[in-house]
Amino acid sequence: MKPDHLNLPPRLRGGRTAKRWEGQTLPASAPSVADKPRHLPRKQGRRISWKPILSIGSPLLLLIVWQAVTAFKLFPPEVLVSPTAVIAAFGEVITTGELQRHLSESLTRLAGGFTIGASLGLLFGLALALSKTVERLFGPTFQALRQVPVLAFIPMLILLLGIDEVFKIVIIAKAAFFPVALAAYDSVKGVPKSYFEVSSLYRAPWWVLISKILIPATVPNILAGVRLSLTRAWLVLVAAELIVADSGLGQMMEMGRQMFRLDIVMVGVIVAGVIGFALDRLFQLLQAHALRWKTA
Amino acid sequence: MDYVPHSQIPGHKSRQTGAVSLKGIKKQFNFKDRELKVLSEFSLDVQPGEFVSIVGPSGCGKSTLLRLIAGLDDTYDGTITLDGQRVAGTSLERGLVFQDHRLFPWMTLEDNIGLALTNRNIPKDAKAKLVADHIALVGLKGFEKAFPHQLSGGMAQRAAIARSLVNEPKVLLLDEPFGALDALTRVHLQTELQRIWLAQGSTMIMITHDVEEALYLGDRVVVMQANPGRITHTVDVNLPHPRDRASPVLHKLKDEILAELTHVPEPSNPVVRLIKGDDQ
Repeated sequence: MKPDHLNLPPRLRGGRTAKRWEGQTLPASAPSVADKPRHLPRKQGRRISWKPILSIGSPLLLLIVWQAVTAFKLFPPEVLVSPTAVIAAFGEVITTGELQRHLSESLTRLAGGFTIGASLGLLFGLALALSKTVERLFGPTFQALRQVPVLAFIPMLILLLGIDEVFKIVIIAKAAFFPVALAAYDSVKGVPKSYFEVSSLYRAPWWVLISKILIPATVPNILAGVRLSLTRAWLVLVAAELIVADSGLGQMMEMGRQMFRLDIVMVGVIVAGVIGFALDRLFQLLQAHALRWKTA
Repeated sequence: MDYVPHSQIPGHKSRQTGAVSLKGIKKQFNFKDRELKVLSEFSLDVQPGEFVSIVGPSGCGKSTLLRLIAGLDDTYDGTITLDGQRVAGTSLERGLVFQDHRLFPWMTLEDNIGLALTNRNIPKDAKAKLVADHIALVGLKGFEKAFPHQLSGGMAQRAAIARSLVNEPKVLLLDEPFGALDALTRVHLQTELQRIWLAQGSTMIMITHDVEEALYLGDRVVVMQANPGRITHTVDVNLPHPRDRASPVLHKLKDEILAELTHVPEPSNPVVRLIKGDDQ
């Protein structure tokens, strides 16, 4: 895939060469810079862009194959429901309010668990990067624990916490904790020494060092970790609800499975995918916003 | 040609402050279990408002020397004073320009320069005026809102110079400031630096690889040798500023210094001396 910035108009594209600012002329003593804003040949702009069509192509193809397979009855309809049946089930769970209820339960859980896990992860990652003592104490434990899949903790956590709300929040928080902690640790460790030197040369106060230098230097990478942790928390949440819950999207799917309503299971699958996709996109936008100076 | 001290040139603010004195500086790095002597008994006195260029081969401790004066490194023997006061840590009185511009990529030009003023207790509009004045000083007016990646290498280095001057330091240290620029931009910025120095009048100590640059700008050129870093020679350049690059005096001095820098000294290593049979 081509990087997105290639599609920007020339004025918005970052480049090594300096550009003239609108309405301003260069001072006589300024080094030579390109006088005119550069215009690229606009040939491609006139043609129909195929990109949006390409990106909806694969779900469309999937849908056609799915419809065809069910129409030819390659599998019994109880096992593989048709897209039309799923659409009908969609209408059903929305009109009864079942979908909204489960979804809001799931999203509330996600918000709680994710907020706790990501905040603790951020604090822990920063402490790990900034303090040699914390790194010596918890570094190896952290590196080992993060290799254990979240789902492996489920049986133990059920015994310890039961299957109530606390259990689910803990599971989600655990899933959200590690990517954020790792990203915070790595990005603080990765701040070049030269940034600290410049800050020290100008005797910048510590709050300036943090707010104007360390945060802008680390936030893009930390956000990437937060984005990963959010989508991972969502995956774990749905999986945990499939196993133990009395409400939530995963529970809706589990109930559907037990009652042989595979159309409702499919609705859950689609909603889980769409929500995960939307959360990821939302964070992508946030990340782009934090890095907007790159394309200025 | 008669030597005219720069303090008598019209437009040059003569300064009473900015005397840098280095006495018996010794610095070593511990590399694994070996001690690497970087500077040995280095002494140098720089007059207020003087422009001193330091040339020398790679690894002769030039950059280390500037870092010591700037206060980025406090582990050395000897004394460094500025106007009689012993140097400790970094200070706004001592500016430093690196070879790379070291502007923060997420800040505009004016924010980058403004960062240097965060420790100054002056009103906001006074800060804004200082920033604007120094952007104008380095000829970057119109680029206040530009991000570093939108500037050419030469423009970014001008911005770095503006940032280091915005606190009006008594002494400005320049660590190969034009080393990463192309030849044409370099010549252009040398002329600019001379103009800025004449207008600003702070003491300047510049490290460079370029003998021509050292002679064109310096009142004095200090020649160093490596292993350990020490002064082997000092050349006074008795020419008024602004200077003519084509001056025969500069060319003669350049040949002298280059001859010295490329001269292979008698090996001081006893093993080599033994092989050469000098001890017999």
